[in-house]
Amino acid sequence: MILFFLALLVLIFGSFVFELFLPPVLLLHGAVILFVPAVYFYGCVSLPFPLTLALTCFTGILNDLFTIPQSRSHADFPSGISILIYLVPGLLMHGLRPLFLRHRWETHCLLAETGALLTPFILLAQYAMLSFERREIFFSDVIVWRIVGPGLISLLIAPCVFFILTPLSHALGYRPGLPLAR
Amino acid sequence: MKGITIAALGAFGIFVVLILLLPQQAKHQLQGALFQLISPVLRTGASVQQELGGVGGGLKRLDELERENQKLKLDNEQLRASNSLLKNLESEVNRLNRALGFREQSAFKLLPAHILSRESATWWNFCTIDRGTKNGIATDMAVVTEDGVFGKITTVAKDVAVVLLVSDESLRVSVSIEGTQEQGIVSGTRASSNYVPDLKIRFLSKTANLKPGMKVLTAGSGGVFPSGLVVGSIKDFFVKELEGVASVTPAVDLASVQDVFVVAGQK
Repeated sequence: MILFFLALLVLIFGSFVFELFLPPVLLLHGAVILFVPAVYFYGCVSLPFPLTLALTCFTGILNDLFTIPQSRSHADFPSGISILIYLVPGLLMHGLRPLFLRHRWETHCLLAETGALLTPFILLAQYAMLSFERREIFFSDVIVWRIVGPGLISLLIAPCVFFILTPLSHALGYRPGLPLAR
Repeated sequence: MKGITIAALGAFGIFVVLILLLPQQAKHQLQGALFQLISPVLRTGASVQQELGGVGGGLKRLDELERENQKLKLDNEQLRASNSLLKNLESEVNRLNRALGFREQSAFKLLPAHILSRESATWWNFCTIDRGTKNGIATDMAVVTEDGVFGKITTVAKDVAVVLLVSDESLRVSVSIEGTQEQGIVSGTRASSNYVPDLKIRFLSKTANLKPGMKVLTAGSGGVFPSGLVVGSIKDFFVKELEGVASVTPAVDLASVQDVFVVAGQK
């Protein structure tokens, strides 16, 4: 279990680095391609509660360090707040863990798509925080696409991530809810 | 199991509070350390991207050549291929000459830098460059190109630095409009990106007589950007309840620029 948890940490770190090189999708008004939420949500449904919390801390901190320019004096988006932003959908996904433990491909697919649908929540919460800090809130079609677009892209990405991570977890000897491999 | 859950929740709560209470300076240093850690990956990724771009360009030329060869019945294929290659080299030489000329003519000490990666964040516009503290880069230095203002340094590591772009909402630059007494503050909007930059000048007078195409220059107040640098040109002007607001087309093509200069003081 610890090995798989460490593998997830490495994968999340790698996904953040990889995302630095991905251009936004101009067809979706500049919506970005996000791999991290899919990996994170897999961790939430597969790992026990304490490790889910640890994964949330790691993902939230890295999110703030990778995607928000930290000025020396004042930041308009308090670093560390992403831990709480990731926590909410993360706990929702963790609540669906009994479904994951059935180990049926249909339920895995359904969970992946649920995670994809929760991805815009992260961006919406970031936008709400930013608007609160900058004391100005407005919505335009571009803003809506920036929030919804990554979720639509995740609908395609998340099942692939889930179907790659399941064999990886088995390969690393972590088979939650299944009899131990001999 | 219940005890472990409660302990985990407690540890999580303490950790979150500690992170939130961490001084901004420490978070700034943490980000610098992180980007220093991944700087070899950024450099490798940038060179791979460049090579992939070269392959894409090569395929495009090949495609064009094929169409031309169909017209000319394949009699001068080699000649056209070499011509096409020379054209690419010529444009590359011209681009570097322009940059070199700009650097030599400038009244400022300019440190050349290459863009390693462009950001993928939804609400922030920034990029990383291949120069850091070992090259004399410091935070709050202005970053420009031969066309105008590009951004400013926010985080510096030993080998890399993070540049907040002029299209970001949180970067505010005091500007004046050429040929007028008008001054205002230019910044990006939350919907702005490198590819579709959306800059606005706020705090203009309601009676400002601004016409499309007028140049927007840095005013020099604020201490980051020297005065007289081109930010862009006026696209549109409209009056709000308390102020005049102008939208601006940036002078620099933020999505495609490859080489920038960091302003490291006067010569």
